[in-house]
Amino acid sequence: MSHKLTDGGQVMHVGTLSRVEGEGAMHIEYSGGQATLVQLRIYEPPRFYEAFLRGRAWTEPPDITARICGICPVAYQMSSCGAIEDACGVTVPEAIRLMRRLLYCGEWIESHALHIFLLHAPDFLGYDGAIEMAADHPAVVERGLRLKKAGNDLMDLVGGRSVHPINVRIGGFYKMPSVAELRRIRPVLERARDEAVETVRLVAGFDFPEMEQPYEYLSLRPEVGYPIESGSVVTTAGKAFAVQDFTAHIQEQHVEWSNALHATLDGESPYVVGPLARYTLNFDRLSPIAQDIAREVGLGTTCRNPFRSIIVRAVELVYAYDEAIRIIDGWRDGVAPAVPVPPRAGEGFGASEAPRGVLFHRYVLDDAGIITDAQIVPPTSQNQPSIEADLRTMVQTWSELDDHALSHRCEHAIRNYDPCISCATHFLDLTVKRS
Amino acid sequence: MTRAKVGAGRALVVGLGSPDRGDDAVGPTVARRVATLLLTGIQVVEREDPTSLIELWGDRDLAVVVDAVCSDGVPGTLVILETGIGGAPLTEDAWTSTGRGGTHAFGLAEAVELARALHRLPRRLVLIGIEAGGLEHGDPLTAPVNAAVERAVEAVYGILSQTGALPSHRNRGSGTRPARAVQEVDR
Repeated sequence: MSHKLTDGGQVMHVGTLSRVEGEGAMHIEYSGGQATLVQLRIYEPPRFYEAFLRGRAWTEPPDITARICGICPVAYQMSSCGAIEDACGVTVPEAIRLMRRLLYCGEWIESHALHIFLLHAPDFLGYDGAIEMAADHPAVVERGLRLKKAGNDLMDLVGGRSVHPINVRIGGFYKMPSVAELRRIRPVLERARDEAVETVRLVAGFDFPEMEQPYEYLSLRPEVGYPIESGSVVTTAGKAFAVQDFTAHIQEQHVEWSNALHATLDGESPYVVGPLARYTLNFDRLSPIAQDIAREVGLGTTCRNPFRSIIVRAVELVYAYDEAIRIIDGWRDGVAPAVPVPPRAGEGFGASEAPRGVLFHRYVLDDAGIITDAQIVPPTSQNQPSIEADLRTMVQTWSELDDHALSHRCEHAIRNYDPCISCATHFLDLTVKRS
Repeated sequence: MTRAKVGAGRALVVGLGSPDRGDDAVGPTVARRVATLLLTGIQVVEREDPTSLIELWGDRDLAVVVDAVCSDGVPGTLVILETGIGGAPLTEDAWTSTGRGGTHAFGLAEAVELARALHRLPRRLVLIGIEAGGLEHGDPLTAPVNAAVERAVEAVYGILSQTGALPSHRNRGSGTRPARAVQEVDR
């Protein structure tokens, strides 16, 4: 709804912003056709996870932090495992890294399929949501459910549950799946990979507003492969640093309008993490099938249009199935599920690529392995300034839209980031004030 | 990571919710109790992700979903709502799933309506809600919700009986309710 203000301005208030994870609001003020104020207000109460991790044992962060989010629990598990193992001076064997990567593929598949088909596609096809879209495009929605289910099945198999996996521990897993179990799921993943290729063709045919993000992109880049469970940090400005140095480069600060911290990169903001950054910085690391379909639809080796992020997610979906199949094909039974990680005093750093961007963890342990300090920098905290910057840029050209159309377009722009407000603090309202 | 399956049948009982989040675990808790009744021809499952229910519903005569709800009511209160093919659509706020941060953006009401749009709803779908008292991570069920579990199990049994899914007591497997779970639900 909208109403006039006594100063001649106008405020539009659009209930709860839908199809994002968590609770928040977006406030926009116009003056003379220019956006004078854009604030992403995250009001879901902070969860104080960093505080209540203090005093807990070094073995507990994977289980505790996984509960921060039901969409990306594996990201929390992998970043926390990496950080604790770093503090304890342990590097897990390659087979454990690969099984972690396989589990993570399951999470990418679940998250990307949900976002592409049920949350983001309705924006492009002109529907209020997936339910309305399903009436006219049942085959699209059915495909989305099938693709997501393949991810659920993979998470079930490797993680023990499709939500909040229970098979992850510091040092590895409680139990490794067998070759026979993995091979049973392979045909499902193979069919899903083919459908994901078709999905890239589908979403590449959507209409996209013109926009080029000038911001610095940041992602992980491992020694081998596309960034998922580990890597060092690289940016489009040519910066490169170890995850152990992330606190020297990435700072968080409180802003009065949000319960989530805002992150800066070397004092600058905004910068962008997530699919666009991963793709732009690591196209060469995608598998041939993922590169081929990206080229076929004309995506290029870089992508800076946030609206085209749906295509990039679809390409990453292809890659996730492809990578899962590659890991399954190379798996051999007889691998120890975990290695010992004895505690020692020190500080450790971990980072992994959650579906929506880099998730950093830092822990300080005492010599008994008790956590004395913890820091979690989630992707949505890092992307909040860029979401605001995108809206500042875009609302200028949208100022003539009516309230309903404007709010829909703003929601669309926010969903480009697949934001997880639950992670950032810890739901979304939209207010627009025009004058 | 394999999970024991209770024999698939025309009627389905789903316990929806996170087993680690206080009263959100009441759905899975009720499902496990129903599984101990060894009801012939009834499939009992646990799920956390509402979208995963859609694939389970198609071609079913009856599905019963047990879930925690938040409606500012008295904790432990049972709320029973029926829909299905030809039933009235649920409004988004008719059934606010408790799980937040999970598939927050896609709750049970949305899963029901998406299934309706895809013609995948069971003929009858009964939603049994149990008003939650607390949803803290790692907490057990609150006392009022724990006390409501047996009433919810009886409600599930009653619905299965009334709808003909359990034509007679002879279909009750062992014939008595075991003191503890003897069969896992399919998760």
